[in-house]
Amino acid sequence: MTKKGIKHLAGKVGGIKNLILILLATLWGLTLLADIFVVEKIFDPLGYLYIALGIVALLYVVQPLYASRRLVQYYWQRVKRNRLAVLGLAFILFLILLAVFGPLFTTDPTAANFEQKNLPPVGFTTEESIYNPQTAQFTTKTISGTWEHPLGTDNKGRDLLAMIISGAGVSLQVGLLATGIAIALGTLIGVVSAYLGGKVDNILMRFTDIMMTFPFFLLLVFIVFIFGPNLAFIVLVIGLTGWTGTARLIRSETLSLRTREFILAAKALGASDGRIILAHLVPNVVSLIVVIATLSIPGVIMAEAALSFIGLGDPAVTSWGMVLRAGQQSLDTTWWVAVAPGIMLFFTVLAFNFVGDGLRDAFDPRSSV
Amino acid sequence: MEGAILKIRNLRTYFFTRRGIVKAVDGVTFDLVKGECLCLVGESGCGKTVTALSILGLIDSPPGRIVGGEIFYHNMDLAKCSAEKLRHIRGKEIAMIFQDAQSALNPVFTIGDQIVEQIKLHLEVSHREARDKAISRLKEVGIPSPEEVANYYPHQLSGGMKQRAMIAMSLSCDPRLLIADEPTTAVDVTIKAQIIDIFHQLKETRKMSLLFITHELGIVSEIGDRIVVMYAGRVAETAVGSELLNNPKHPYTSGLIKCLPDITQERERLESIPGTVPSLIDLPSGCLFHPRCDKAIAICREKQPPPVIVNHGHTVFCHRY
Amino acid sequence: MGKTWLRDYIIKRLFYAIIIAWGILTVTFILVRIGPTSPADKYLTNLAARGEEPAQVIAAIEARYGLDKPIHEQYISYIGNLARGDWGWSFSTSMPVIELIKTHWIYSFQLILFSTILAALVGILIGIYSAVRQYSKTDYIATFFSFIGISIPNFWLGVMLILLFAVQLGLFKTYYDTGIPLLSLANLKQLILPVVTLGTGMMAGYTRYTRSAMLDNLRKEFVRTARAKGLPERVVIGKHVFRNAILPLVTIIMFDLGSIVFGGAYLTEIVFGIPGLGRISFNAIFADDYAVVVAVTLISAFLILLINLTTDIAYAYLDPRIRYD
Repeated sequence: MTKKGIKHLAGKVGGIKNLILILLATLWGLTLLADIFVVEKIFDPLGYLYIALGIVALLYVVQPLYASRRLVQYYWQRVKRNRLAVLGLAFILFLILLAVFGPLFTTDPTAANFEQKNLPPVGFTTEESIYNPQTAQFTTKTISGTWEHPLGTDNKGRDLLAMIISGAGVSLQVGLLATGIAIALGTLIGVVSAYLGGKVDNILMRFTDIMMTFPFFLLLVFIVFIFGPNLAFIVLVIGLTGWTGTARLIRSETLSLRTREFILAAKALGASDGRIILAHLVPNVVSLIVVIATLSIPGVIMAEAALSFIGLGDPAVTSWGMVLRAGQQSLDTTWWVAVAPGIMLFFTVLAFNFVGDGLRDAFDPRSSV
Repeated sequence: MEGAILKIRNLRTYFFTRRGIVKAVDGVTFDLVKGECLCLVGESGCGKTVTALSILGLIDSPPGRIVGGEIFYHNMDLAKCSAEKLRHIRGKEIAMIFQDAQSALNPVFTIGDQIVEQIKLHLEVSHREARDKAISRLKEVGIPSPEEVANYYPHQLSGGMKQRAMIAMSLSCDPRLLIADEPTTAVDVTIKAQIIDIFHQLKETRKMSLLFITHELGIVSEIGDRIVVMYAGRVAETAVGSELLNNPKHPYTSGLIKCLPDITQERERLESIPGTVPSLIDLPSGCLFHPRCDKAIAICREKQPPPVIVNHGHTVFCHRY
Repeated sequence: MGKTWLRDYIIKRLFYAIIIAWGILTVTFILVRIGPTSPADKYLTNLAARGEEPAQVIAAIEARYGLDKPIHEQYISYIGNLARGDWGWSFSTSMPVIELIKTHWIYSFQLILFSTILAALVGILIGIYSAVRQYSKTDYIATFFSFIGISIPNFWLGVMLILLFAVQLGLFKTYYDTGIPLLSLANLKQLILPVVTLGTGMMAGYTRYTRSAMLDNLRKEFVRTARAKGLPERVVIGKHVFRNAILPLVTIIMFDLGSIVFGGAYLTEIVFGIPGLGRISFNAIFADDYAVVVAVTLISAFLILLINLTTDIAYAYLDPRIRYD
């Protein structure tokens, strides 16, 4: 294909980036179809989500950020001044390191080891009553924690630290992917709805209203109940049900942008609708999107944890919610199993909230950070 | 001064901010005689509004504070009054109206309710009487069908009507002194004239004292009996209206007057005063105007100019006299 | 102007609400029908497990659920049944779904009611105080706690409270006793932990929203006018500022209800064993009792629709700028 030909095609779809997107999306779609119908598994379902999100992120997040490096630097300076946000970021980094490198140092979280069940964390001791059938008496035995299982074990002998580390990985992945889907969908609907207006806006907003009326978690539970608990599917569903808030916010921001002069100027220069949406409107709502995304991650992580907690999580995956569930069921004997995942969830949510707030303040031109 | 109901002596109001101390009002002295309209004139940021707010103790208390001086109202020093006492004076003896009527009125209460609230706060009257009073005030400022308008919400009224309603509200308890902070600045030219008329009328019929704050010299000549010119937190010159406009002594005042475009004269360019108003955190030494003054002499940089009585009732703060 | 406007607005909103209600029913129907297993399959699996003859029952089921009819007929009878009050049969509890709901809704109701009252009272008051005394120690403490309150996973909080107060300290039972009559002090006592669990998250949110709504309004010009009129500070804050702050607050609280409260109540019921609608839906999930799950999902969506509608109308009443435009 000639260079001119490519340029012409690009113009038709609103830019070279869009062309690349369409190409890669088609490739992705074909691979998916082949996977389902023709060959054996090429990628994990989760893998497909990563690839899809990765493509979108690379084209529309990484590249624009790189293109405006100086602006990113400026905002980064502003964020750095917020101590809580920096703390939050540090924790998230720690979590990522934990999730990536932790499994190298710990045992398999699903390995049951009944010899070592009910061990408390290091530094704690519990008493266990053991019935001796020969003497027909109860004797109390003191058990203390060991460094072999620093956080203790549950009633099946599974190492708590390993479970927590596995859970970190799950939460981060779910947080990233599901939020990505929700934000992408919400932004698309919001921007298109606001920009095109009229009937399209009407229908899209009615649909958004309908979806918004379902309580988020109950809808989640309902869909997972119908279709079955599978991690990739859960991620997809959280993403497909959590976009409504984003859509509304982005729509109202776009509405206010749409009447601004620089959009009229682009139109006067002959830009197509597609180009205006992707090249002019979206970059201006980026700061809003970043804040919404960061503040949505905790909700997503909690949703997955709650699902696992009530037993609707992926049984093949050890997530924090699942650990909490196990802990609750044996609260009187292994209370540490219930405490640990909650603390991790709490700090994770807190961290993302701090960062999100910090970002919001940094982007707000009125606040003197 | 004889018959002064308000005597301000060396008032200093500072704002303590992260970037430094903003000396918004730094040694302001003037009197307001009963029954007169005193105009406080100056550019934006010269301290006129802060002076007015200081009188009623309405300065936002962090970060601002009255740090010195006296505000005598009938022998009571308002700067040292208790909050309770100040509250009794506000709205009853001394009332204040603000620049933008739309934001100054509470959008969720009707005009009538807002006026009645003030009346019932200060006067011992029944609800019925308060309502009647409110309606008569609305009528007084020239609002048509006041009984209906009393049931309207602020956003339902036009700009001019809102302004009148605000004036009516301030008059509701028959105050002796009305402070008007730039009441004509945010309105159209035609409305401006109407508002000025209302003030004239108020002066005649109520024999009220008026502290009128504005940056427009044209308005001042219309309505002011005496004028106080402020610059960067201090007083530059004080005089009777006509005297000031015909015979300005302070270089800043003459500069301001020359800036007024004159439609009768043939001119190529508009006059302006060179330079800009100094930052109130980083004030120049001596006379605050000296960096922009074409008549400045050595001492202007050293010492603050003392008041010089040039004429009867005409005081100027300048070293050249 | 004025008089018929409110009525017209209500009618418009009602009409819109009906459209949304239709949308809810349709989406639910679609979700159920495109699921990998039909309700009949699951029902059958369970019947087989209980030893009944599948072949006979299939025909009965299909007739009962109308699954042999084309899809649009199914849809119509689905809506028709719901409207008539026939919400299906819960085989896991052997009673009509409607009956099940009738006996259990009260538990959810009392939980949500008390939690909301607690959260609103405490949250809003602290929010107002926090805003008025911005940057004070109390403000920082309140903001700190509200951050914590929002970040704590509410189901974990429930478990922790049970661990501390019921297991370790023995002050409460670890489960909800339905034997205790509803209108009694003992019932209130056993509701303390669940209400605290659900209420904390809500309270934290309310504190934050109230604080920010109040702060926004404290900056406005009319506050200065109110003070200039001579009004005492508590009237300025409590009447003038608060009345304006209520408007965005109402919107945000209503939005929260949909996304957080019902989900939170669901989890709280499960943690504490309170037999409300959340818990029976949960039980139904693990018994594959479709009808109950669908019913609870629908009910919650309709409730939120109702709340939204009421709030919209209330908002129009509260904000004169909308009323008289």
